[in-house]
Amino acid sequence: MTASSVLAATSNSGAEIVFWVCATLAVIGAVGMILSKKPVHSALFVALTMINLAILYVALSAPFLGMVQIIVYTGAVMMLFVFVMMIVGVDASDSLIETIKGQRWAAIVLVLGFAAMLIGAIVNGLQGVPDPSLVAANAEYGGNLQGIAKIIFTDYVIAFEVTSALLIVAALGAMLLTHRERHTPKATQEERSKARFLRYAATSELPGNLPPAGTYARHNAIDTPALAPDGSTVPASVPGPLRERGNVRPVDVAAEVEVEEISEGKTVVAPINDEDGEQR
Amino acid sequence: MNSLLAAGTSPEFALPSIEYRLISPILLVLGMAVISVLVEAFVPRAHRRVVQLVLTFSTLIVALILVVMLAGQRAVTAAGSLAVDGPALFMQGTLLVLALMAALLVAERGVDPAGDAFAARANALPGSIDEREFTKRGWLTTEVWCLFLFSVGGMMLFVTGTDLLILFVALEIMSLPLYLLAGIARRRRLLSQEAAMKYFLLGAFSSGFFLYGSALLYGFAGTVDLGGIADAITANAGQNGLLIAGTALIAVGLFFKVAAVPFHQWAPDVYQGSPTAITAFMASCVKVAAFGAMLRIMYVALGGVRWDWRPMFWVIAILTMFVGSIIALTQTDVKRMLAYSSVAHAGFLLIAVVATNEEGLAGAMFYLLAYGVATIGGFGVITLVRDSTGEATHLSSWAGLGKRSPWVAGAFAVFLLSFAGIPLTAGFIGKFAVFEAGVAGGAGWLVVAAVLASAIAVFFYGRVIVILLFSVPAADGPTVVVPSSFTAFAIAAGLSLTVVLGIIPQPFLDLAEKASIFVR
Amino acid sequence: MNISSTLASVVASGQIEASNIDPSVNAPAVATGAFSFMWLLIALPLLGAAILLIFGKRTDKWGPYLAIAMSCGAFIVGAVMYLTMLGLPANDRPVNLHIWDWVIVGDFQAPIGMQLDQLSIIFVLLITFVGSLIHIYSLGYMKHDPEKRKFFAYLNLFVAAMLLLVTADSYLLLYVGWEGVGLASYLLIGFWQYKPSAAVAAKKAFVVNRVGDVGLSIAIMLMFVTFGSVTFSGVLEDPAAANESTLTWIGLALLLAACGKSAQFPLQSWLLDAMEGPTPVSALIHAATMVTAGVYLIVRSAPIFDAAPDARTAVMVIGAITLIFGAIIGCAKDDIKKALAGSTMSQIGYMILAAGLGPVGYVFAIFHLVTHGFFKANMFLGAGSIMHGMNDQLDMRRFGALRKVMVITFITFSCGWLAIMGVPPFAGFYSKDKIIEAAFGVNVIVGAVALLGAGITAFYMTRLWTMTFTGKSRWTDDNKHPHESSAVMWIPMAILAFLSVVAGFMLAGAIETWLAPVTGFEETELAVSSLVMECASLALVVLGATIAYLQYRRDVPLVAPQHVSPLTVAARQDLYGDAFNEEVFMRPGQWLTRSMVFFDNRGIDALVNGIAASLGGLSGRMRRIQTGFARSYALSMLAGAVIVVATLILVRM
Repeated sequence: MTASSVLAATSNSGAEIVFWVCATLAVIGAVGMILSKKPVHSALFVALTMINLAILYVALSAPFLGMVQIIVYTGAVMMLFVFVMMIVGVDASDSLIETIKGQRWAAIVLVLGFAAMLIGAIVNGLQGVPDPSLVAANAEYGGNLQGIAKIIFTDYVIAFEVTSALLIVAALGAMLLTHRERHTPKATQEERSKARFLRYAATSELPGNLPPAGTYARHNAIDTPALAPDGSTVPASVPGPLRERGNVRPVDVAAEVEVEEISEGKTVVAPINDEDGEQR
Repeated sequence: MNSLLAAGTSPEFALPSIEYRLISPILLVLGMAVISVLVEAFVPRAHRRVVQLVLTFSTLIVALILVVMLAGQRAVTAAGSLAVDGPALFMQGTLLVLALMAALLVAERGVDPAGDAFAARANALPGSIDEREFTKRGWLTTEVWCLFLFSVGGMMLFVTGTDLLILFVALEIMSLPLYLLAGIARRRRLLSQEAAMKYFLLGAFSSGFFLYGSALLYGFAGTVDLGGIADAITANAGQNGLLIAGTALIAVGLFFKVAAVPFHQWAPDVYQGSPTAITAFMASCVKVAAFGAMLRIMYVALGGVRWDWRPMFWVIAILTMFVGSIIALTQTDVKRMLAYSSVAHAGFLLIAVVATNEEGLAGAMFYLLAYGVATIGGFGVITLVRDSTGEATHLSSWAGLGKRSPWVAGAFAVFLLSFAGIPLTAGFIGKFAVFEAGVAGGAGWLVVAAVLASAIAVFFYGRVIVILLFSVPAADGPTVVVPSSFTAFAIAAGLSLTVVLGIIPQPFLDLAEKASIFVR
Repeated sequence: MNISSTLASVVASGQIEASNIDPSVNAPAVATGAFSFMWLLIALPLLGAAILLIFGKRTDKWGPYLAIAMSCGAFIVGAVMYLTMLGLPANDRPVNLHIWDWVIVGDFQAPIGMQLDQLSIIFVLLITFVGSLIHIYSLGYMKHDPEKRKFFAYLNLFVAAMLLLVTADSYLLLYVGWEGVGLASYLLIGFWQYKPSAAVAAKKAFVVNRVGDVGLSIAIMLMFVTFGSVTFSGVLEDPAAANESTLTWIGLALLLAACGKSAQFPLQSWLLDAMEGPTPVSALIHAATMVTAGVYLIVRSAPIFDAAPDARTAVMVIGAITLIFGAIIGCAKDDIKKALAGSTMSQIGYMILAAGLGPVGYVFAIFHLVTHGFFKANMFLGAGSIMHGMNDQLDMRRFGALRKVMVITFITFSCGWLAIMGVPPFAGFYSKDKIIEAAFGVNVIVGAVALLGAGITAFYMTRLWTMTFTGKSRWTDDNKHPHESSAVMWIPMAILAFLSVVAGFMLAGAIETWLAPVTGFEETELAVSSLVMECASLALVVLGATIAYLQYRRDVPLVAPQHVSPLTVAARQDLYGDAFNEEVFMRPGQWLTRSMVFFDNRGIDALVNGIAASLGGLSGRMRRIQTGFARSYALSMLAGAVIVVATLILVRM
């Protein structure tokens, strides 16, 4: 009743339908983000929410905000998230078993109570709130974008300017936590090559490339060791830090049996494309 | 006039008038923060520390001078988003003094044989060969100075901002650097990183509340300007759910920052995990900034509905005072104990918010100054008590410290006495001022509860003093390191301010009282 | 620019109102003339302490003499004040010297000022006079101590703090003095800190006194909440304006403070241990002056107790209990100083009891305080003289027959002995019998307790006197040659002995008129004539003294007999004061929580432990909420948000 009363002011039943559809989808996206077990699904759910919010903006005559919402959040931020997850290879490996007694039930009860109270308060508060549409404002400034520009550079100019401080801090923080500086000069290709062959001379360690993590294995995640043609694992294919911390994913028995069968010719497999000569 | 809905009368673009002189301290600090980022980029590593030190200290000092020169100003500037008034200037001054003292602790390089308090490189894995290599080469994370300045700038903005939007941005500028600083301790790095992670997650959670509350208040008033909200309340005195819900959520966001119960649980973990110099900065300055903003929002914007939010503040204040004091009783780690003590102090300060009168504002400002100087001094002492693994914060290793280092133990005892509110220390005057305001503001029973909570608090402060001064020293106890003049100066400043504010508080009280009128 | 604010109260102009204290009808006059030099009372000894402490070893040679000069100077100033006051009519005698506005917070003003009236001048004279004598005595007693300078500095510090305590014009300033004497007492008890027993005793005194201090701070805060002021004039003007239950709470909080400082039941345990300090300290601080601060506090707060009869009854009961308690302990101790300490406890019990009787008793509480100050200081100095002659021996079983070798000490001590027993015309007779009479006038049981106390007092004091001075010598090898002390020590003793004889006679009658304007005074109405009462008490005294003399005149075993009555065993154990603390406060605390083991191991005083431990149990349970998981913290924040929203909505409904 209330939302309809809000939108009734616009006397636009089309906008009302849009609101209910998009708002529902946005909430579904938000809840789905929390409930889904795979991070990628969560990210996609967020994208769903963002898109629906964008549609709501457009429906409220704020097309610029709607576009920015899609371009920045859905397009840039969320896709970046998905890329990162794909590259790092995170899958649903985090344990989702709740160890704190009563945590989930308490959380559910509290969330429901909180939501009920807030909804009650907001429903109460929406009585007689005027038309939320920006049609009038847009008309005054000659467009949505012009209106926003005016406000950003007059009333909120300080907020706008100091947001740059926030962005600098964010960039600086990202650098601080992730940027790897070298404490020794980087060895040139020549030096490394020489060292490789000297090592070969000394220890007979082959100078060629190691297989990357996940070669022939069931996963291509970075913690999965490559399998040599004889089915044994190549621990050196997993990055050193992971090995140090014992985070190497063991090759499961099924995979070993499978590899053995392949090597004995019991299972027919498609020929491996080894034109890049990665394996030794 | 700040509304998206109610459009201005003239569509032409007119530059807003910004009185740059009035906001020069904030602009200076934030501007120099940007320059210090450039220093990181262009100055060779060997010279960075010196350049950053000179830059930071001179910035803070000049900003303090600017603030002092602005004393007595009362104006709203920058298109109604910043209010340069008595409380703003007093708290900017307080923040700068405290930040200067904290910066002295941050600058200390003499107590840890490996260098300063920060990891050589924050991104080297704890315990890795890289880390050892960086440490061996004596690299320093000089980025802390940029972050420090940004955070100070955010805090100054937070006590000055008078619309919800700028307050939110300021809140984030203040907090983001702290999340980072909390996570880059040199010693016990995993604990530090865990602390930073928790602080960040929960801080984001609380920011969400603040933002949602701002949105609801905007929905109610059609403006984010604090004065505008007050006008809307006057015009629309009836029942309004948006106002109630917005008030509640804004309050939640602020309660988190001041560490009020039950939003306090991050505090002990973060205080313990962070580098102690940063803990000192966080415990003192964030409290000042957050209470500054809370007082402004609650007095200026929501003063008209104080009968609605006061009972809620009563509940939170009582919970905060008692839970903080009682849990502190059984803490065995000095830093955690001070964290709970800071929780309890937040409870006492909430009385000043409940009071909603001039005395409350003046009392809170004095209290924040008194609490801040003692806090920095106290954490400064903690940085000095060390064993081979870094700071020895377990209380048992502090036993009998007074026998071996009477000066250090004595200073710590004075800070604790001030926290406990014993006469002739700053804490006593602060507590008295706040309690008095509470009584005048009709919160007599709340003050009675506060007195009981203080009595409990006296027990745990007294316990530490007894352990410190009268126990038999542990055989293999920690040593007290002789610091360089940085820390020594910070502790001495804390000590003398604590005593001076306790013995001749009147000039400061007068100053706070003169400054205790918000402009809108 | 819209310069205004939302709240009417914040709009109010920021100007501070002039900080005038409301002139009230009975307010003390502003100090003029000689009184305007009142501050010298505190400044002189404080300056002495500061010089000795700051300039350190450089003052070793002349420091003690400076300290004595400062103390005597304070006495002279006090005497001038007294003489000036004598020349004024009774109602003009209280004067107030405003020194400085310390804090002005809104309505609250804490002016720092001194107030001198008939009550405080008595204390000023007692403190500076006895204090100066003991300073002089210490010159002989501490002659060979390497830290002599520090000792005199602390003594001066004590005198300054004690004078501040009794001349403060507000409870707040009194509290400062209260803490100051506590500090000086702590420093002096632990003066020989290389002795573990001294360090432990100092610690115990410190901690137990803090418990009392909590009482005083609660009282001050309650006063401020109730009356909006903490000055004597503001609080005591018209306490009846507040409701009686509040006043009762204030009274009980003040009583707690008095119990801590004056070693009254149940906070008595520290006083016996405090005897670890040098003997002049025991004489000055733990007999004559500091321990009587509780009596001062209660008499000073008389209007509050007058308006809160329940609190006053509690004072009386505490006094009565301690009076018997201390006396019984005094009977069983073989250590001469501890026996005297038990006696001090008991005599202060008399004073507290008298103060609890109301206007019929206040005057006698102070009267007894003064006479006790003289005779007990005298006896402590005598005990010090004996220790000095006996190579620091304290055990009375090793004394005996000292009257022959230490004649002066014997004579002075005997004066004190007769005075404390209340033998006419010695000082104690006048003051103690008045208390007993007044007690009978209020309540027969209390009167009977006071009377019985007189008998027991006679018993233990005679026991002490007999064991020390009469019978055969039981000196051990290491102190075969006891000798009389030097003149610098016996002259102060002689002066005090003289006062033990004449003070009661001199002051009786006069002190009632002198104090009445401050404390109020009513004659006790008794069914029987006071002569009957005096005879009864004298008879009990003679009985007690005779039993003791007959029992201890003969051979006293060198080692205390083990097969003795349960009461003796109990009394030797300080009537289980420590054990009581341990059983009632400490054990349940330990049982409540294991997490406090650390705390208990530190051996902090039992009472503190008990209260803290039960809070600690709560604390231990509450800290379990702190799981360390961010999600659980977030849940707690959500719960908080629910509370916040719910409270706001509830208020609106």
